[in-house]
Amino acid sequence: MEFRPIFLSIKHNKAIAMLVIIQVAITLTVLSGSLLMTTSTLKEWNLPSGIPHDNIISAEPQFYDLDVDVRQSVVDDLARIKALPGVINASPATQRPFAAQGAQQVYLEATEEAQEYDTNIFTGDINLHKVLELTLIEGRFFRENEIITGKRDELSSTPPIVMISENMAKVLFPDGNALGKTIWMEKGGSPAEIIGIYSNFMNGEQLNYFGQSYRTVLQPLVTWQNRQDPSYLIRVEKGMAEGLLETIRNELYKIDGRYVNRVEVLSRIQKRMYDGRGSQSIMLLVISFVLLLITAFGMAGLVSFLVTQRQKQIGTRRALGATKWDVVRYFMLENGILSGIGIMIGLILSLVFTFVLTEDSGVNILDMSYIFATAFFIILINQLAVYFPAKKAANIEPAIVTRAA
Amino acid sequence: MLKMENVSKIYRTNLIETHALRKVDLHIGAGEFVSVTGPSGSGKTTFLNLAGLLETFEEGDFYLDGQNVKGLNDNQLSELRNEKIGFIFQSFNLLPELPLFDNVDVPLRYRGFNAKERKERIENALEIVGLSSRMQHLPTQLSGGQQQRVAIARAIAGQPKFLLADEPTGNLDSLMAQQVMELLEKINQQGTTIIMVTHDDQLARRAHRNIQIFDGQVSDLALDQTDVLIKAG
Amino acid sequence: MFAYNAKLAFKSLNDRPSLTVLMVAAIAVGLGLFMTMLTLGHQSGKIPIPHISKQIHLIQLDNREVTADDAENFTDMVDLTYQDANNLLNMDIAGAEQALTWNTYGILNVEEQDIQPQRSSVVATNHAFFNMFEVPFLYGKGWDSDADQLGQAVIVLTKDSNDYLFGGINSVGQQVRLNTQVLTVIGVLDDWFLARKFYDRSYSQARPDQALIPSNFAFNNDLPRNARFDCWSTTTNPRKFTTNYLTELKTSECAWITFWAKLPNNTKDDYQAQLGQYIESQKNLGRFPRENQYFLTNINDQLSIIGSMGGRQQMLGMISYMFFAVCLINAVSILLAKFMRRTKEVSLRRALGAKKRTILQQHLIEVIFIGVIGGLFGIAFTYLGLQAMLRVSLYASDYTQTAADLMPYHRMDWEMVMMAFSVSVGCTLLVGLYPIWRICNVSPASQLKAQ
Repeated sequence: MEFRPIFLSIKHNKAIAMLVIIQVAITLTVLSGSLLMTTSTLKEWNLPSGIPHDNIISAEPQFYDLDVDVRQSVVDDLARIKALPGVINASPATQRPFAAQGAQQVYLEATEEAQEYDTNIFTGDINLHKVLELTLIEGRFFRENEIITGKRDELSSTPPIVMISENMAKVLFPDGNALGKTIWMEKGGSPAEIIGIYSNFMNGEQLNYFGQSYRTVLQPLVTWQNRQDPSYLIRVEKGMAEGLLETIRNELYKIDGRYVNRVEVLSRIQKRMYDGRGSQSIMLLVISFVLLLITAFGMAGLVSFLVTQRQKQIGTRRALGATKWDVVRYFMLENGILSGIGIMIGLILSLVFTFVLTEDSGVNILDMSYIFATAFFIILINQLAVYFPAKKAANIEPAIVTRAA
Repeated sequence: MLKMENVSKIYRTNLIETHALRKVDLHIGAGEFVSVTGPSGSGKTTFLNLAGLLETFEEGDFYLDGQNVKGLNDNQLSELRNEKIGFIFQSFNLLPELPLFDNVDVPLRYRGFNAKERKERIENALEIVGLSSRMQHLPTQLSGGQQQRVAIARAIAGQPKFLLADEPTGNLDSLMAQQVMELLEKINQQGTTIIMVTHDDQLARRAHRNIQIFDGQVSDLALDQTDVLIKAG
Repeated sequence: MFAYNAKLAFKSLNDRPSLTVLMVAAIAVGLGLFMTMLTLGHQSGKIPIPHISKQIHLIQLDNREVTADDAENFTDMVDLTYQDANNLLNMDIAGAEQALTWNTYGILNVEEQDIQPQRSSVVATNHAFFNMFEVPFLYGKGWDSDADQLGQAVIVLTKDSNDYLFGGINSVGQQVRLNTQVLTVIGVLDDWFLARKFYDRSYSQARPDQALIPSNFAFNNDLPRNARFDCWSTTTNPRKFTTNYLTELKTSECAWITFWAKLPNNTKDDYQAQLGQYIESQKNLGRFPRENQYFLTNINDQLSIIGSMGGRQQMLGMISYMFFAVCLINAVSILLAKFMRRTKEVSLRRALGAKKRTILQQHLIEVIFIGVIGGLFGIAFTYLGLQAMLRVSLYASDYTQTAADLMPYHRMDWEMVMMAFSVSVGCTLLVGLYPIWRICNVSPASQLKAQ
């Protein structure tokens, strides 16, 4: 391996060497940074929902007329909706899967210093678990007489029982045996007994982003607050969801004094939940990929240029006995060495860049294996890019040396 | 040592067929010092390229040190060039970014010698041409004559069977030209065959034998013979 | 000589068109991405109502209990209570214009059956709002102080709301319903683009409100209060005040109303002094147990304290810088290849008498030319890039924001266009430094001899 002549040659033309080194260094930094950012962002992305989200509709009606009897209209709404052809079941709900607002806390003790556990609380009647098609893992579902209905701040008590998801059970009681235990929904509030554990379903963006998906608590409640009706979650026959959106909206408008906000299939909400991160990641990857292309082409162009510059030299070497492969290898090795130096500088830059990104997003995204893999990939692409013009160099006739000037 | 039989180099385009060399018969024995002359455009360069295995030919046979080079592929030709031939060019063709040591080193690397062997040979060769003291200097720091001597060192370092010199003194003044010629004669006396292309008749006469090329045809004139080997095209 | 060099430069551009195109492309693409991010950052960092922003101050009084944490700046501080807001409005403090704002929401609908009701975010404020913030009107005007006192059922619609509800006509005098309340339209705003929505302290972009009503009307009709209530620990469940317990809220120490004062240079000290006096007087009534703390923060200071918003944009910004750098490096290679092809010609020219300076001029012209063309294409790419980013924002927000609202944040103004040009020409010159140096140092006739 002719390292020494190549090193001398590089020393002779430092400017061109710098061009290659800087390019490779920056490309590695950007590529690995984007990759790390994307993988960490997408780590909790597009997880299984745990529910038949294509066949569940969410409806958000809202009263602006304060004189309406909300209790009765809930009864009427449910009757009308369930009577529609294609509707299997429906339940009132104050939160929707994929769109849980913020995070609520539950506690294992009633004391001031009790540790708080993040979760999302979902409420509904006895049909909620049927609408979401949750599987019972332990214990039982709620009974009809256990559902508490009423205006939120007129309720005298909170339900004494709850159900929790499988994941929530693991978090609260890592040793198992969550069934029958007590939790508190509020600091210094009243306790609730866990009467059942159900299969996991996706809660919302906030908890999902921090790796706390599927943590949910179910309360047997149907409540409203002045103008805030409960929303409805409606289970429909397969394939009928899109068609029923307009129909359900019209049914809801049959009660006056009301505005119907959104009626949409849960899959749409799911898409919204992941869209922001998805689109950013795609953008990053696209830009990085384009950068890689530019670097590869730039490398090929540079070597092409060098080949033209060095025609006489190449001819001389050939005359002195270099084989075609010797010529190709010379250029690939030269670029390889420069790329290697660029990679080393790029590794340092990547670490710095990753550190800045980590500070910024609050999530540690460093994973050396990704950076090394990216470096390896870049060298591979570069060598490939260099191979073609190098091959052309090999075709320079040795006879060029005998031409006058 | 070098035997060409009926060798023709033909350039073919769509319309024209040009014979750069026409049925050349030539025999050069080991240890000879042969000069090749002829007007420009006569085919001198083509002959040189063929002799140096720098180009392939269309017709005929060419034996180099007993080996028929006709069917050889590019790699084999490269190997042969590397081992058997030492080149000296009119424009020196040194690699400008390498010091003298590394310039002489180039063919040795392709030969596959180990570092110790190469070092020995390089030092030896530079000694012979009288430039040992300037081993680490760059070609640009040398005069024309010195550069050519380095090129000669590069040519002989591998102890080739013959040297092929293309107008070796073309870019040098008369004093330097003298020095170079003396060097070549010295090398020849030690047994290396030398084929020298030149347009300088005076220099040509210093060789043992003179071959003239005219219109793609070779006319071989021994200095004390008038042997005409012209084949009508 | 200049004309001759220019001619040579132009000829050279056509010489190997592929290289010229490649070079322009390298600069234009890198510039496009770079300027897209730069423009977004520029728009993002703009100060709303810049010509008066320094005068508009957010007023905050610290009525919290003694045990509360100390506040370093306005972000840690609470807003005003109902009592204090009213008191300040009734006092004529240094003749300064004062406005209170809070947000309510409801359903706006009209008689016209074909037009579906619109869920709306409504600003509850007083008459000074319009003057203070120099809000532009298309039709009609705001209400007066009497309307404030009486809590008149009047409403000012934004342009978009008016377009939706009334088809864009002059709807002054028409009636509109907010939930079950009937209000009369007395004004329609013109396009009111705010770099950031400051008046509700959200600093949001592209999320405009739909209408404005007198604050007292909203109180008299117990409209919901979309606010954060900072109460003393003795108050249970502050969130209940959103839709209920208005009487309790009015007398409580819960801070929730945003308060603004317009203080031209000479009035600030005066205002501050009177504010201090007010707090003193309240202390005598047993309120304001803490140290005499109040904050007056103008819009400029607010934005600089909050700092850059959007870590995502920061990262994209960094990447776009690096992307541009790589494009420029490639441009150097391409330019080098382009120039060094001509060493023979240059060497000949030098031999024939051309000075270094003229070779320099010739190639400088060529480089600048490329820079200008690259700049033009770069601007085109920037436009495309901004359009793409707009689509991305729309996609990510899933029709909770409209393209029309987002558009101003994705627009190139003349400042940015000029910047694009100067960056392009400047960077191309930078790129050209090494290749020009190489070509100018070609010695006369050096390429003409054998070696």
